[in-house]
Amino acid sequence: MTSAGAGDSLVEIDGVVKRYGAVTALDGITATVSEQAVGLLGANGAGKSTLMRTILGLIRPDQGSVSVMGMGLDRSWDIRRRLGYMPEHSSLPMGMTARDLVVHMGELRGLPRRVAVLRASEVLFQVGLEEERSRLIRTFSVGMKQRTNLAQAIVHSPSLVILDEPTNGLDPAGREEMLLLVRRLSAELGIAVIMSSHVLEDVVRTCDSVIVLREGRIVARQALTAADRAPRGDVQVQLVGEPEPFVAAAAGLGLTVRADGEWLLVQGSDTDSVLRGVRDAAATSGVGLAELRPAGPTLEESLIGAIG
Amino acid sequence: MSSEARLVDTSFSRYDGPRAGRWAAIWSLARWSALRALGARRGWKVKVIPIALTLMAFAPALVILGLRALFGTSSLTKTIVDALPYSSYVSTVSIVVLVFSVVITPELVCPDRRDRTLSLYFSTAIGRFDYVLGKILAALMPLLLVTLAPVLLLYVGTVLFAVHPLGYVIGHGGDLLRIAGSGLIVATFYALVGLAISSLTSRRAFAVGGYLAFLAIPTVIGGVLGHALNERYLRLLAFAASPIRAGQGLFPGYSDRGGVSAAVWGSTAVEVSVVAIAVLAYRYGREQG
Repeated sequence: MTSAGAGDSLVEIDGVVKRYGAVTALDGITATVSEQAVGLLGANGAGKSTLMRTILGLIRPDQGSVSVMGMGLDRSWDIRRRLGYMPEHSSLPMGMTARDLVVHMGELRGLPRRVAVLRASEVLFQVGLEEERSRLIRTFSVGMKQRTNLAQAIVHSPSLVILDEPTNGLDPAGREEMLLLVRRLSAELGIAVIMSSHVLEDVVRTCDSVIVLREGRIVARQALTAADRAPRGDVQVQLVGEPEPFVAAAAGLGLTVRADGEWLLVQGSDTDSVLRGVRDAAATSGVGLAELRPAGPTLEESLIGAIG
Repeated sequence: MSSEARLVDTSFSRYDGPRAGRWAAIWSLARWSALRALGARRGWKVKVIPIALTLMAFAPALVILGLRALFGTSSLTKTIVDALPYSSYVSTVSIVVLVFSVVITPELVCPDRRDRTLSLYFSTAIGRFDYVLGKILAALMPLLLVTLAPVLLLYVGTVLFAVHPLGYVIGHGGDLLRIAGSGLIVATFYALVGLAISSLTSRRAFAVGGYLAFLAIPTVIGGVLGHALNERYLRLLAFAASPIRAGQGLFPGYSDRGGVSAAVWGSTAVEVSVVAIAVLAYRYGREQG
């Protein structure tokens, strides 16, 4: 999300306020979505789901306006027909097969029946469920259910898909698969993504920008670059002994070392090579390592305060 | 290698073709729901009860038409045919219609609430009103299979077996409208009441029990008190009978043992239906999706 005024915006949110009794879920949100993949980051109760459901037209804001692909919320049914939505909690009909569900959801979002049948096969292949398409959903693992959930969200070829905590409840392997799928949506399949999560790493790995919500307000926003996604190799060290031999030894191993206050900042291409280089340079130069820590500030450190 | 073999491109493609509108989505919801309630694409155990009940609803029509085919227009046939006029058909199979609606309507809405599928539906072109409308249509379609289709079959069969088919159609053209009206009244009532009660719970068993209790308990109370107090209008508590009596009132020669007019039965059916609609509006109007 960027400041209002971006060119081909998918979503424009202007001063949206939503209250539930005394609780203000959204407190004057103003933003424009124009990137291919945007992450909404925040703790539970920060307003992520409420904002997503407002964009879908499922919730009417008390104040402000929302426009999705040029359509106002007075055309919410038309918006929902063109958007994909993957709810946070499993809401799949357990007595249906994956194929039947995806065909059905395609029809409900405006696809002719024949097209829905064809596209159901396509998306189930894309999410890796082509072999399981005729099984009842109740027999699926959590990861397979989440992939079915994703398939139903993209079967109608939406321009934008909204994913509410897509990695919730997944084991590490399932989470890894889901993050790869989410990244593919925007990077390869041309579907813009708005994804919520309370895990920064999920957002960093899948999105082009991140917006941080706290207590219904936008408290930080930042574009994410490839460098944010790459492993960070920089470390800071404090030595026991003279630094010069260490610096020379490290330089000989291809590392860059410079003074950083009481610390030495050691930079390299990735974590493994830097840590190996520090170990070898220390051994070669005969100095001891008093302390070693990751160099900061990281993206996490810069956003963690905002998340609260 | 089979000559039928073909290469299928399973890559993901964009779809820029036409998209159907809101009514198509409602119709899709109704069609899928009705088929699933009847057991389509499900195990045989789910199919067997709806199929058996449908056959039972058709049985009187099939028996009469079979007798016509075997014995022509003999006096025996005429006696049997006269014993079951169009106006009495739904009344004769009323217990089948009741059980059918008890089986079908909870199946239409309880699983959606149990599996929390409503939020998924409401994220599509389907809104709350559309959902309720789709489910009413979904309930009507199978119910018309037992309230309208058998009587229509009997009518068509009677026309075909008539000595002068065209003359029969001209002479009994009004019956066709009455059959349609009667079938629609009964199906609509059972659809609305069944859905309203089923919408109160996510458990199918509770919905079935609640539905049966709603129809049976007032009927028994009304019957006992009506007899004891000699008050004919207490019979109106037999809610299950109200749409059937109202439907019978569309045919000439209506009579009621208790002397309650078809209009009064009809107004009772309308009042109960309005309450059912209010319950549905309350239940689904509050859904956040």
